[in-house]
Amino acid sequence: MNARSVAAWSAACLFIVLFTTNPAYKVLVLAAAIASLAAGAGLNRMRGLFSAVVLIAAFATALNFASAHLGRTTLFTLPQQIPALGGPYTLEALAAGLSGGITVGAAIVAAAPFSLMLASHDVMDALPAALSRTGAAIAASLNLVPSVAASFVQVSEAQRLRGWKPRGPRSWAEVVVPVVLTSVEGSIQLAESMEARGFGSGPRTSLKATHMHRTDWILVATSAAAVIAFIAGKAADWYPYPTLHPPDIDTVPLAACLLLFTPVMTWRSRG
Amino acid sequence: MAIARITHLSYWYPNAQDAALQDVILQIEDGLTVIAGPSGGGKSTLLRVLNGLVPHFHGGRIAGSIEVNGMDVIKTPTRRLARTVGFVFQDPELQTVYDVVDREVAFGLENIAMPRTEMAARVEEALHSAGVSHLAGRRVRTLSGGERQRVALASALAMRPRLVVLDEPTSQLDPEGAAMLLDATLRLVQQGRAAVIAEHRLERLLAAANALVTVDKGSVITGPPTPPTPPTTHPIARPAPSQPGRLAWSMAGVTAGFGDHTVLDAIDAAGHQGEVVALCGPNGGGKTTLLRLIAGALSPTNGTVERRPGRIAYLPQNPTALLHRPTLRAEVAMTLERAGEPDEPDVILTQLGLAHLAGRYPRDLSTGERQRAALAAVLPGKPALVLLDEPTRGMDDAARDALTRLIAHLKESGSAIVLATHDQDLRNALADRVLRVSSGKVT
Repeated sequence: MNARSVAAWSAACLFIVLFTTNPAYKVLVLAAAIASLAAGAGLNRMRGLFSAVVLIAAFATALNFASAHLGRTTLFTLPQQIPALGGPYTLEALAAGLSGGITVGAAIVAAAPFSLMLASHDVMDALPAALSRTGAAIAASLNLVPSVAASFVQVSEAQRLRGWKPRGPRSWAEVVVPVVLTSVEGSIQLAESMEARGFGSGPRTSLKATHMHRTDWILVATSAAAVIAFIAGKAADWYPYPTLHPPDIDTVPLAACLLLFTPVMTWRSRG
Repeated sequence: MAIARITHLSYWYPNAQDAALQDVILQIEDGLTVIAGPSGGGKSTLLRVLNGLVPHFHGGRIAGSIEVNGMDVIKTPTRRLARTVGFVFQDPELQTVYDVVDREVAFGLENIAMPRTEMAARVEEALHSAGVSHLAGRRVRTLSGGERQRVALASALAMRPRLVVLDEPTSQLDPEGAAMLLDATLRLVQQGRAAVIAEHRLERLLAAANALVTVDKGSVITGPPTPPTPPTTHPIARPAPSQPGRLAWSMAGVTAGFGDHTVLDAIDAAGHQGEVVALCGPNGGGKTTLLRLIAGALSPTNGTVERRPGRIAYLPQNPTALLHRPTLRAEVAMTLERAGEPDEPDVILTQLGLAHLAGRYPRDLSTGERQRAALAAVLPGKPALVLLDEPTRGMDDAARDALTRLIAHLKESGSAIVLATHDQDLRNALADRVLRVSSGKVT
């Protein structure tokens, strides 16, 4: 698959999920993103991502539930004396929180194909020529990420054996500082290596040509159509306060969301 | 024919009082030139002068002149010199830009905007020259250290440089990986390329070398390629075979791994006070996992690990990552303070030949000096259990001798010692027992 077509699809998902307040469409975008990613990357590779998304979405939901004491359907009440948390906990706040959590989850899953399905050089090759040097620098820095993670594990282990104990945020400096220093040194060495191979000489070329296949064009077209249809369909807004009510669903925005399921067929068919 | 001429060259790193290179006069001819000398002597700086990383990338002050293939290095940016001078760095992981071998090799060609039609042939030629044609298309992260370094060599060769410079390219490799890289380097020289290599393992290189350049304290001495006189040190007496002391650590039926991958399977092993156990075996065989289990840093999925109470001195695979205090002395003092031991930091610094560097910021030291600094940071005082993962990696002979003496001293003091090492000389000098760790088993 071509990174440009993936970018078009991700952008369409993000546009719809971020600009509508209607949770029905948000749920559809989330479902499209999950189904597409499962088709392209496989369920096994999504495990870690799923755990992270569920955690982040749950946090976003809980935050709204605990902080927005609005709505008429009170589920329970905490004493007002408890700072920030005191007050009525409502079904409406929970629903609004859930809607926010779905937004965050859908946005993360929609952007995930860049890390789970494409190599850094695929993304780089898809950039316009004017951005190719920036792309090369980003690709190089992405290659440092695994070594930073390994360094964190190694340093925390070794410092523990040197007698370090985690006692609050300040004590973590003894782990974080060496990891950061090592990462900075690694970046400098990488920059040195890039310079020694002529990086920054001028315009660049690329070993591989990037081709848009028929399925890539189909994905770009359906993504564009989804955005246009969603804008044209004027999806109804949703506001859960003061009393919770189900969101309205219109045909055109619904069809727009369904177009986002296209990768389920195109990514699967490309193997 | 001279490919590089250095005339009265002196160089100071930014904010440094002392010159890293002093009045260097050197002519590098075609063929193989070997650069030798102690850690921190200026080898890496000299090599970086050849492709202009010094001074263009590192800054600082420079005096004198250097010409490579007719180009004035001081006036020519490194990115232009890249077409003439190929460079291979020490650490294979920190010179990789792309995640696929072919793309990595093509990186330099992409930078000089070579037409795509020519690039593929150049990549193939470079992979062939470095002896890694079979790695085309592989993910870089799936390669061994030796394979990675040869891919780095191929990346340098893709530019068809007049001169190839290699800065201690085997320092991070196991013996097999090092042999592969040195073979590839020697093949290049036989093919008529000029190469300059800084290396501690001189035996194989000197037979094929045209010149030996020794760099020490920023000065160079050029001579015929005969082994340099070893530094004057006290001979290392092999510690007498020890009477096994009390059991210091043991593991019974231990299985360990990561996720679904089992690294060690049903292992039984033990070590005693005053005993040196050496772990050998191929990379990925489980030596580091075994050390981490003994240290208690990793929990077994099955079986039990026991160790006597007392301080554990653990040197990880990338030991310099530990260093973060403002001075080397402070780094050692921190370990002693936490252990509640009364020793002075300078004791171990002297033992490891680092006393003159005690006031320096550890990360400003050379690679070999940093390795010793990390050892000084974990080994002071009287640790009950000493676990060292490849402690001699990148060390020169003098530093290795100093470490050998220190370990012998710790053994005599009753420490239980476990070394994971590819260094056969170290094993011969110290080990009471050698355990081979391979394919999940310990034999």
